[in-house]
Amino acid sequence: MKFCVCIKQVPDVTAPIQIRDGALSMDAGRVVLNAYDASAVEEALVLTEATDDEVDVVLIGPDRATETIRKALAMGAARGTHLVVPESTELDSAAVSKILADRFEGHSYDVILTGKQAQDTDAGLGGGMLAERLGLPFATNAVGLAIEGNQLIVTRQGDTGQEILAIPTPCLVTCSNDMNNPRIPNLKGVMGAKKKPVDSAPLADIPSAAVRVLGFESLPTRSPGRFIEGETAEQVAELVGLLELS
Amino acid sequence: MPTILAYVAVQNGSPSRGSLEVLSRARQIAENQGAICAACVLTADASSVVGELGRYGAQKVYAVNNPVFRQHINAPVLAALEAMIGHAQPSLVVFPSSEGVKDVLGALAVRTGASVLPDVASFEMKDGAVEALRPVMAAKFMARTRAEGALVLVSVRAGSYEATESPAEATIEEIPFSFDQSALRQTLREIVGSTAGAIDLADAQVVIAAGRGVKDEAGKQLVEELAEVLGAGIGSSRAVVESGMFPATAQIGQTGKVVSPDLYIGVGISGAIQHVAGMSNSRTIVAINTNPDAPIFDVATYGIVGDLYKVLPILIEEIKKKKTVAT
Ligand SMILES: Cc1cc2nc3c(=O)[nH]c(=O)nc-3n(C[C@H](O)[C@H](O)[C@H](O)COP(=O)(O)OP(=O)(O)OC[C@H]3O[C@@H](n4cnc5c(N)ncnc54)[C@H](O)[C@@H]3O)c2cc1C
Ligand SMILES: Nc1ncnc2c1ncn2[C@@H]1O[C@H](COP(=O)(O)O)[C@@H](O)[C@H]1O
Repeated sequence: MKFCVCIKQVPDVTAPIQIRDGALSMDAGRVVLNAYDASAVEEALVLTEATDDEVDVVLIGPDRATETIRKALAMGAARGTHLVVPESTELDSAAVSKILADRFEGHSYDVILTGKQAQDTDAGLGGGMLAERLGLPFATNAVGLAIEGNQLIVTRQGDTGQEILAIPTPCLVTCSNDMNNPRIPNLKGVMGAKKKPVDSAPLADIPSAAVRVLGFESLPTRSPGRFIEGETAEQVAELVGLLELS
Repeated sequence: MPTILAYVAVQNGSPSRGSLEVLSRARQIAENQGAICAACVLTADASSVVGELGRYGAQKVYAVNNPVFRQHINAPVLAALEAMIGHAQPSLVVFPSSEGVKDVLGALAVRTGASVLPDVASFEMKDGAVEALRPVMAAKFMARTRAEGALVLVSVRAGSYEATESPAEATIEEIPFSFDQSALRQTLREIVGSTAGAIDLADAQVVIAAGRGVKDEAGKQLVEELAEVLGAGIGSSRAVVESGMFPATAQIGQTGKVVSPDLYIGVGISGAIQHVAGMSNSRTIVAINTNPDAPIFDVATYGIVGDLYKVLPILIEEIKKKKTVAT
């Protein structure tokens, strides 16, 4: 089966990021391959290991995001498409899915994978929007994938349990990082990635975002807490006294 | 009169707590806007929930009754919501941010031409648009976002609003709906690890969350005993879901669930940013951890530096005592 994975470059959420004048200041920040997309790449690689099929990746982002495509190629993807937009272009999930849908027109992938959400937006909309635009059956929040004939068996994490679905291909699945642990590229992978093809072109029409970010704010602060000191029995007695148990 | 629609998820025959929270918020907004507050349900039988929805302020209940909704499959849910929106013509639809809703929200927005604000912590109508605060970057920051358009969909994180009663006389209106099985395009084979009957994490008033500090079966038993004496739901960090000790439905955080109970007790959890993203809105947070520098203490109301294997047995006994005195 032919796979294509939609990947995004995101700021590392564990890096020190600060707010300055309502905007996020990434001075000290690193950028990484969205963790959920990394799991999607990993799964596509595992599922195509036994066959000759290749995994493609596609990314919308500024020039610097090429680095993230190279990361996916170093993991083992065969080729990348980089749809280049100017630095700090505002794209909501709707705009992203529109660009990707146009891009997929005329391609014949059996499976399109996305992350369940981008780690920076935490929106979780892009995959479902893309599936709807392409008229594909889809499943979200997958924690397991298997190929069975010409359908995919998807285990998705639902509200009260894991739902096991059979979906005919072509289809789209959004992936959770609970699916696998993405491989760390080895030196051979990194060197090989430099020679793999990346089709890079500026995006002609950039759709405007219907949802706009007006600014960023800090979280409401919690009132400061305190440690309960003493021997274990004293700590517990004090704690139980403090809790309002019904 | 414009309509504001609240989507109500029905679990085991009654509306989920999150659904009543969004219905309460929808009612407040409808009052301010001079709009009708309506609820919509997809179930096998809506008649059993109409009374309760009226108590929380639904003036109208749009219902699609079909056995296909006994389980969650996205294609019929999408088709029914599309029919519902076509019929009720709302300007705003508010959803609880459950996995079932997350599954369809993006596709529904495209299908109905709506703008969408997912997973918000608060929202309001402002100058004819919807403005919301959304936690972003693993809930490290809030983004103030604005959605324009004739139809806006909003999904709300659990615990963002209180469920408050305000009785209205709810009338039920059934929306005609039929679903061709062959249009399903996907089949649900089975549901595994279903927590039916157990206390649903998202609905729980008290949550005990276990982390990697819980190292073995004995530790797990302590967590279960503590949950039992408190009538609590059991949550966990990703580390112990990965190790197979706790089911994935228990995972709290950026990948897992968002909980906002009155009381959250984290046992042997370090408090990584991706975990805190799912619990920092809890009213009282208790952390029990051997390491005084664990980041979980930064959000804790009360911290106990100590070994959970020593603390929990005493805690369980003390709570038992307090409960017997109280009753
Ligand atoms: C994209 C992404 C999404 C993620 N999503 C989630 C998510 O949804 N939920 C989530 O939880 N994590 C998530 N994670 C993982 C997260 O980063 C952490 O790895 C994880 O939360 C750590 O779990 P832990 O606190 O149980 O383990 P650890 O970090 O190993 O902490 C264990 C703690 O137990 C303490 N301890 C040890 N022994 C004892 C004892 N006897 N008594 C008391 N305390 C003890 C230690 O001091 C330590 O603080 C995500 C990560 C990524 C990259
Ligand atoms: N700029 C982008 N380029 C390629 N894919 C993207 C981009 N932004 C989002 N996606 C995909 O859409 C998914 C969901 O994103 P979001 O709706 O922002 O949470 C991500 O996990 C990616 O797979």
